[in-house]
Amino acid sequence: MNLAAHPRLLALLSAAHALGTLRGGARRRFEALAREQAAVRASALLWQDRLASLTELEAPVAPDPAVWTRIRNLVDAEQQREALARQRSAPAAPAARPGGWWGSLALWRGAAVAGALATVLAVVVGAGLREQLRNAPQVQYVAVLSDDRSAASMLVTFDPKNRQLTLQRVGAYREAADRSLQLWALPPGGAPRSLGVLGPQQALHLAATPSELQAVPALAISLEPKGGVPSERGPTGPVLFHGPLIEKTL
Amino acid sequence: MPLSSPDAELTALLDRVGQRDTHALQQLYERTSSRLFGLAMRIVRQREVAEDVLQEAFLTIWRSAPDYRASLSPPLAWLGLIVRSRSLDQLRRQTADRAALTQEFDEVLADTLPADTPGPMDLADASEQAWALHQCLEQLERKQREVLSLAYLRELSHGELAEQLKLPLGTVKTWIRRGLDKLRGCMERLA
Repeated sequence: MNLAAHPRLLALLSAAHALGTLRGGARRRFEALAREQAAVRASALLWQDRLASLTELEAPVAPDPAVWTRIRNLVDAEQQREALARQRSAPAAPAARPGGWWGSLALWRGAAVAGALATVLAVVVGAGLREQLRNAPQVQYVAVLSDDRSAASMLVTFDPKNRQLTLQRVGAYREAADRSLQLWALPPGGAPRSLGVLGPQQALHLAATPSELQAVPALAISLEPKGGVPSERGPTGPVLFHGPLIEKTL
Repeated sequence: MPLSSPDAELTALLDRVGQRDTHALQQLYERTSSRLFGLAMRIVRQREVAEDVLQEAFLTIWRSAPDYRASLSPPLAWLGLIVRSRSLDQLRRQTADRAALTQEFDEVLADTLPADTPGPMDLADASEQAWALHQCLEQLERKQREVLSLAYLRELSHGELAEQLKLPLGTVKTWIRRGLDKLRGCMERLA
C-alpha cells in the first residue's frame, strides 16, 4: 500500500508506532514499509522525536539529598579507577610515585574496591544503553519538505559524521529542464542561506557542516534558473517546498 | 538560538560533563534532578526505586555525555530518555520479581494523575519541542492525555493499560486513537 498517499493514516500509524501501542503484525508491517519508503521513514522519525518530549513534561519532585551523595561517590570512584588504569597503561611515565596522596595504600585499596563496584555497576547498568547510544545511526537532522497542500515532496537527512546532507525526492514533482531546485537554510531573523543546488537525480548529496544547520529551524526549496542563484541574492523564484528542520533523538 | 536559552545552557553543561567536569555534573544535577526524579516517580511509582533510577541515570549521563552532541536532541529530552530507559529496566526487574506488581494495580487512574498539570513555570527548562507538545496535549481531554503519556512512559500496550487503569479495553483503544488523532491535527498546525 502506498501509505504516503494517505497522510492522515500515515501520521496516525507513525504516532502509534512512536507511542508504542502499535504492536505485533501491524508494527512489523509498518516498520517494513518504513524501510522501503522514505516518506514513511521520515514520518516515523518525526513522531519519535515529538513524543520523546513527553519525558520533559512530568511534574518535578525533589529527590532525597542522599541520592546526589551516592552519585558523587560513584563518580569519584570511577575517576580514581580510570586514573589507576591510566597509570598502569603508562608505566614509563615517572608519575608522582613517592609518598603523598598517590602513595597512600589505604586510598588505593579503597579505590580498588570502589572501582570494582563501579565496574559491576557499569556492566549491569551501562552496557545496554551505551551500546544503543553509540550504535545509533548518525542521522541527526531530518526535514520533510512539503508543498502548499502538505504533500511530502523531499526528505532531507543530515549525517554529521560524513558531513553530508542527503535529499531524497519522495513526491512526483520534476522541474523543467531549464530550471534547478535550490535548497535554503532559513535562520531565524536572518536572510536565507543557500545550502546547494539540486541535480535532477532521485537522491543526491550535498556537503554541509553541522554549524550550517545548527539553530536553523526550517529549510525551503525554491525554483531557480538552471544552476541556481548566488547565496547572497537569496531565492529569486517561488518557494515550492518547505518544512521544519528537526533534531533527531537517540 | 540565543546563548541564554535553557537548551543552550543545559547543552553547555553537558559539554563540560563530557569533559569530565564533576562540578558541571553537580550543576546539571541541581538543575534537572527534580524534573527527572518526577519522571522516574511517574514510571516506577516507588520512591526508593525512583532514587535508584536517578542514581543509575546520572552515572549513565556521566559516561555518555561525550556522545550527547552527536544525538542533537534537546538536552532535557535526551536526559529524559535516559531516565525512562533506566526506569523501564527497573520495571522489568520488578516484573521478573512479580512482587510489587499486583499491589500496584490497586492504584487506579487517580493515582497516576499528578496533583496539578505542570504550569508554565514548571516547564522552564523544557525544549521548544516540548512546549509545542505541551500546548497540543492541553487541548486533549485529561483522560486522553494521561493515557497517552502513560502508554509512552511505561511502554504499555492497550491490554496492559486497560489492566492497570481498570478500564475496558475498547475504552482505552478509543481514548488513544482519539487522543493521537487530535495530537496529530494540532502538531501539524504548529509545525
